[in-house]
Amino acid sequence: MNDVQTGERQADAMQVVMIGLGEEKFALDAGLVREIIDPVPVTRVAGARAFVPSVINVRGNVIPLADLRIRFGMPQLDNSADTRIVVIELELDGEPVLVGVTADKVYEVTEISQTDVQQTPRVGMHWKPEFIRFIAKWREEFVIVPNMERILN
Amino acid sequence: MSATDPTEVFRQEASELFEVLEGALLDLGLRPDDRELVDSAFRALHTIKGSGAMFGFDKVASFTHEFETAFDRVRKGEIKPTQELISVALAAKDYIRALIEDPQSTDDIIGEAILDDLKRFVSSDQPVVPVAEIAEAPPVAPAESKQAGWHLYLEFESHILRNGSNPLDLLEDLCKLGPCFVVPITDGIPFLDEMEPEDCYLKWDVKLHAACDKDAIDDVFMFVQDEMKLTLSPLQEVEAPAPVPLFQLHDEEPAPVAEMPAPVAAAAAAPVVAQPIASAEAKSEPKSDPKSDPKPDAAPVRREEAKQDRGIATVRVQAERLDELMDRVGELVIAQARLTQLASAGSDLSIKMIAEEIERLASSLRDTTMGARMVPIGSLFGRFRRLVHDLSRDLSKPVEFVTSGEDTELDKTMIECLADPLVHLIRNAIDHGIEDTAARAANGKTEQGRIELAAVHSGAQVLVTVKDNGGGLNTARIRAKAEEQGLIAAGAVLTDHEIHQFLFHPGFSTAQTISALSGRGVGMDVVKRTIENMRGSIDLSTRPGQGTTVTLRLPLTLAIIEGLLIRVGEGRYIIPLSAVEECVELTAEDERSRGRNFLNVRGNLVPFLRLREIMSSSGSPDRHQKTIIISTGETRVGLVADQIIGNHQTVIKSLSKLHSDVTIFSGATILGDGTAALILDVAQLVTLAQSKVEKQHISEAA
Repeated sequence: MNDVQTGERQADAMQVVMIGLGEEKFALDAGLVREIIDPVPVTRVAGARAFVPSVINVRGNVIPLADLRIRFGMPQLDNSADTRIVVIELELDGEPVLVGVTADKVYEVTEISQTDVQQTPRVGMHWKPEFIRFIAKWREEFVIVPNMERILN
Repeated sequence: MSATDPTEVFRQEASELFEVLEGALLDLGLRPDDRELVDSAFRALHTIKGSGAMFGFDKVASFTHEFETAFDRVRKGEIKPTQELISVALAAKDYIRALIEDPQSTDDIIGEAILDDLKRFVSSDQPVVPVAEIAEAPPVAPAESKQAGWHLYLEFESHILRNGSNPLDLLEDLCKLGPCFVVPITDGIPFLDEMEPEDCYLKWDVKLHAACDKDAIDDVFMFVQDEMKLTLSPLQEVEAPAPVPLFQLHDEEPAPVAEMPAPVAAAAAAPVVAQPIASAEAKSEPKSDPKSDPKPDAAPVRREEAKQDRGIATVRVQAERLDELMDRVGELVIAQARLTQLASAGSDLSIKMIAEEIERLASSLRDTTMGARMVPIGSLFGRFRRLVHDLSRDLSKPVEFVTSGEDTELDKTMIECLADPLVHLIRNAIDHGIEDTAARAANGKTEQGRIELAAVHSGAQVLVTVKDNGGGLNTARIRAKAEEQGLIAAGAVLTDHEIHQFLFHPGFSTAQTISALSGRGVGMDVVKRTIENMRGSIDLSTRPGQGTTVTLRLPLTLAIIEGLLIRVGEGRYIIPLSAVEECVELTAEDERSRGRNFLNVRGNLVPFLRLREIMSSSGSPDRHQKTIIISTGETRVGLVADQIIGNHQTVIKSLSKLHSDVTIFSGATILGDGTAALILDVAQLVTLAQSKVEKQHISEAA
C-alpha cells in the first residue's frame, strides 16, 4: 500500500472517485474502487459495530456495507435518488476484503494534484485525525482523502 | 493458466509416490512375505529416482539409487523385511522427501548414516539390479556385464498404445544404444475381424550388439515397466557379424502401422496419470486422487483393473478450479431460486415449465459439483499409519492400527481440516488410552493394543470414530482435576458425561507428567473448536477398562446446507436444518410470561430465547409466535420467531472480517429475491441462552 502511495505522489497526481457524504466531499483512491452500484436491499446484522451495520449482496457475494457518516459523526440521510454504493477492495490484516460504502452522491472520477495537498490542521476539526490521509484542494474546495483501512478497523 | 513449473509437478508427483511407498513399507511390516508390497515399494522408488534425475534432483536420484540397491536383496527374497529394517527404510524415505522439498535443510551426513544403517541390515555386496519388472531374468553377475550384447524379449500389455506409449519409439531409443537386430513376433495377431485397432499385438525379439550397461536398457523402458514384460539375457557368444544390421528399425515401420493406427494421435490424446512427463506436458495440476493409485495391498487382479482404467478414469484438476466451479454453481442455484419465485408469481405456463426444468438441472449440477469435490477419506487415513507406527515404537506400546471405511467420501476441504484433530485424537489414544504392556497383561488383555479408525456415512453426516481398547477415561481423576482447577464446586452432582466434557476445556490435562506427545492441555479444546467450525460435533464414550471411543459427526459438505428460513420482525434468518428438532407454537400462556423463559415440551423443560430481543427487531410481534426447538449435543433450546417460512437450500457465504466480532451468525446466504440472509450459529445461541440463564440465577440469588 505504501509503495503505491509514494508512487502516486511522485507522479504528482492521484486518480480519485469524488463522493459526497453529508456536506463534505471525500476523495476515494480510484485504485481501491471496484464498482459503483445503485442501492440494494440491506440486511441488518444484529450485534455488529455501528459503522458496519449491515450486509448486501453484490453479484453473489455477501459483503459488509460500511457507513462512513457514522465514523465522521454526520447525520444519516435517507436514501435519495443520488445515493450510491461504492464497492471498494481493501487489505485488512493481509487479506483482500470487499466493502460497500454508502455515498450520498457520487460526483466524478478525477485527479487531485499532489501540489494541492494541504497539511491536516490540528485544530478546527472534530474528526479523528487518523481517519484522514490528507486534505487536498480541488476546484477551490477542500476534499478529504480518508484512510479507509483505519476507518474500518 | 500460466505454464506449470515442471519441478513443482515433480514434487506433487513425488509426494503421492511417497504415500504409496510409505503405505507399502508399513504394510510390509505386517505382512513381510507379501511380494506385491515389495514390488510396489520398488516401483515407487524407481519412479522417484527416474523423474528425480530428469528434473535435476541429482542428489535424490543418487540416494534413491543407493536405497534401491540396499533394498534389492529384500526384493529377491534373500532377507526378510524386519521391523528395524522398515524403520530405517522409512527414515530413508523421509530423507528423500526432505531432499526434494527442502534440499537446503538436509545434510549429506544424515543420508550417509541412513545408508550405512540400511547396508548394515542387508549387508549388501551385490551389484545393482534396479527395478524394472524383469520376468524370469537370470541374475546378472558383474563379470558378465562386459559381454558382447543383450538379447531382449519385449512383450507389452495390449492397452499400451492407449496410454500414449509407442513401442516403436522405445525400440528407436534402444537402437541408439548400439546396433540392433529387431524381429517382431507376430504370433499374437488375431484375425482381422477380431482385431481391436487400438491394441498392441506385436512382441519383439531384439538382439542388441552393444556392451552397454543393463541400467541403460532399463532406463529406456523406465516409464512403461509396469505395462510390459522385459526379459533380458546377455548374449554369450557373438552371433554372426552383428554390427552390420540388415534391418534398421525404420524399415519395419510400414508393417506395424496396420496394428497401430495413429500412435501419435493416441500419444497426444490419452492422459497418462502415471507418467510425470505426460502430466507436465498436459499442464495438469496434481490433485491427490488415491482412487487412481493402485492400493499397495490390493490383490493382483484388482491391480490389473486399476491399471486398465487409470488412463481414462481420472483427470487432474486444480483444486481452486473446483472451488470456483462450486461458487458459480452456488450463484446459479441462487439465480434459479429467484427465477422460480418469479415464475410462480406469474401466470405464464411456459415460463413455469422452464423454471422447473432449470431447477432440476441446477440441482443435479449442484450434486455433481459437490460430488467432484468429494475425496475418499482413505487418503487421510494413510497418513496416520506412520504416526501410529512411530508412536508405538517410541512409547514401546505395541499397537495394532485398523482402519475401515476408507472409501467414505468427504468434501476435500473437510479432509484437510480433519487431519490435525485426528492426529490429536490418535496421539491421545496411544499415549493416554492404551495402557503399557505390563498393565495390559495384568488386566488380562492382549499385549498388543488396538486402535480403530473408522469412517461411515450416516444420513447427511459422516461419522469418524477413533476407538481404542485401552483403560478408558478415568472419571474420578478428571473430576478431581476439574475441582482443582475450580471448574466445578467440590461435591457438585454431575453425570459422568458432564465430567467428560471438561476434557474439552482449554488447558485441561490429566496426564500426570507432561510428555513430548501430550499432557500439555492443548489439544482436545482445539479438536473441539476445529470440529465445531466445520459444523460438526464430537462425542466421547468410554467404558472403564475397555477403552474409549471418540466420534466426530461431520456434515458432508461445507458449501451448501439445508436450512430452515424464518422471519423475525423484518429480517429473515436461516437455521441449519440439522440442528432443528421440532417446531411448536408459543402458547398464549408462554407468550405472556416474562419472568420465566421456559417451555413445556411433552413434560420436558426447554428454555427459550426470543429472537426479536436478540435481533432487537422493531415493530410489533406477530400474534402467533412460533418456537423452533434446536439442539446441540445434549442441550435443547427454543428460538421464538415471528414466522416459519420453510425449507431453504442454503449456499453458505462466509461473513467478512469486519463482522468477525458477531458470533451469533455463522455465515450468510442469498435468498430468492436477491437479499442476503444471515445464518444463525446454533451452538453460539445455546451458549448465549446458557449464560442468560446463569445471569438470571445470579440476579435471583442477589
